[in-house]
Amino acid sequence: MVTTDLLVQSLLNGLLLGGIYAVAALGLSLVFGIMDIVNLAHGHMLMVGAYVAIILFTALGLTPVVGMVVAFAVLFVLGMALQRFVLERVVGEGMEQPIIVLFGLALMLQSIGRIAFGGNAQATDIGIPGDAIAVGAATLSFPRVVTFVLSIVLILGTWAFLKYTTTGLAIRATAQNSSAAQYMGIDTDNIYVLTLGIGTGLAGAAGALLSMLFPITPFVGWSYLLKAFAVVVLGGVGSVAGTLVGGLVLGVSENIGVLYLGGGFRDIISFGIFVLVLLVRPHGLFGSSGGGE
Amino acid sequence: MVSLSNPFEALFADRRRVAVAVAGVLALAVVPYTTTPYYTDIVFTGLVFVMLGVSWNLVAGYAGQISLGHHAFFGIGAFVSAWLTTPTRAGLPESIQSPALLAIVVGALAAGLLALALGPVLFRLTGHYFAIGTLAVAAIIQLVLLDQRRFSGGSTGYYVQNSVSPETVYLLMLAATVVVILATYVVVQSRSGLGMRAVHDDEDAASSLGVDPLRYKLMSFAIASGMAGLAGGFFAQFSGYINPDSTLGVTYMVDTLVVVVLGGMGTMAGPLLGAGLFLTLDTVLRQTAGEFATTIEGGLIILFVIFVPGGLYKLLTDRSGDDTEGGDAAESAE
Repeated sequence: MVTTDLLVQSLLNGLLLGGIYAVAALGLSLVFGIMDIVNLAHGHMLMVGAYVAIILFTALGLTPVVGMVVAFAVLFVLGMALQRFVLERVVGEGMEQPIIVLFGLALMLQSIGRIAFGGNAQATDIGIPGDAIAVGAATLSFPRVVTFVLSIVLILGTWAFLKYTTTGLAIRATAQNSSAAQYMGIDTDNIYVLTLGIGTGLAGAAGALLSMLFPITPFVGWSYLLKAFAVVVLGGVGSVAGTLVGGLVLGVSENIGVLYLGGGFRDIISFGIFVLVLLVRPHGLFGSSGGGE
Repeated sequence: MVSLSNPFEALFADRRRVAVAVAGVLALAVVPYTTTPYYTDIVFTGLVFVMLGVSWNLVAGYAGQISLGHHAFFGIGAFVSAWLTTPTRAGLPESIQSPALLAIVVGALAAGLLALALGPVLFRLTGHYFAIGTLAVAAIIQLVLLDQRRFSGGSTGYYVQNSVSPETVYLLMLAATVVVILATYVVVQSRSGLGMRAVHDDEDAASSLGVDPLRYKLMSFAIASGMAGLAGGFFAQFSGYINPDSTLGVTYMVDTLVVVVLGGMGTMAGPLLGAGLFLTLDTVLRQTAGEFATTIEGGLIILFVIFVPGGLYKLLTDRSGDDTEGGDAAESAE
């Protein structure tokens, strides 16, 4: 029997979790929308970000709030290097070339993770004192609230960057029409490098935030890739607002579903929603059929 | 049946190639009797790679549908065959207990039928969405089986018993691999194969000329998945142990992709070359690099894709320059 209080509690926790999912998905969505590449290593990069936060926390006692910034930076550099030295050479060869490169990378990251950290789950703790916030009968735990606020900041930041900076304008122009952008003097190669950097950086940040809520193992990559893609599909490719809504919807559905079906169903629920949405609206609930906006 | 005899005529016309193929198969057939079980295991794994690669190449290389859920059908074939030879472990009635070969065939059929059932739904998706959609469906199948401990043994796994010797299973697997290669060749050379390639090259154009894309996508998907299920069934009966974590794991998808892309996608010989190369690489690395084997493998795959984009097949035919003679795949390389 599920009481109303419990339901409200799960709903709120789901919303807070959904914020992180939105951050993870935003990176995937940007790269897909702007570069037409599905980063199959996105989940594994998220895992790397989580371990960056875990190392900083266990070795130096740094809060994952700081870890998030470092994780973003590390994955930002990794993503830029990946585009510059690897993906740039294989795009245009067909869809399977980037797929296999990214599969290969995912394989590498996972096995490096296993060698370095073993198969045991690890997590961080916020390390900042703070009280839970009461909302009616439900309470919002302090770390969850912090991760949510940080998620919103990251999403708004990305949105503002795309909307109000010259570089953001160049990214959007490249997404719309890369040849036209080149005629206008935009170095689209550099734009792609930057875009993949931002996309993977967001994955790293999301990983650092998730390490506060869920234990991390080197094998979580595939699961988070599919979750992030589920959010992309829910929200529509390239839409920042849609991604946020999609993340919240996924977080809430997972938590409510787990309440009724049990913890083993968490991933089944989100993958199920994903497949269902794809089938009803093959280009996402809020998506346009084109690449990006 | 005229249309079926033609491709074989072309295939067997080159006597030198036939001789090499027959010698190769015979050499593989004596492996369990002349070497240690260790090498038999390795070669068996190679045959699994060949079967997975050849079948995935049909749906991805020829029909152009990049499915990332091939491992699910491998796993389904493995589990269905396991349930049939060892039903009591899953709490199934003893009356369904079947001989290994029948169980393997039923496993393959189950995988093919599942693909046929999922196909019309999945093929509403195209391109990247199809790729990720199939990956998600495969993940769901794995999670459901992991959760259903009674049927899958959960993370402890499922021990498979049968009354045939591993050598027999090995020989049957070798025969089945030859059949799969020949069957794929027939399909590719047939009218249906032409339809698949037309869908791959330009779906709209094919459609406007009266080719029903869904029909050929479904056909390639069901045949390929059935073959993956066949490989899975043999794997379960040969190794005697399966578990939802590894047997339904995405690792088999990665292996399949690597085999096909290393060898050369959309060519008949590609997956065979790829399987040979990958098996050698994998075995040597596992012996020399230990726990770093997978990491190095991932790196090598990336380098290979960058520097040998057409795969081993293209590299070899470019070198020897006589790809007009290499008949069977030259016309389908593009």
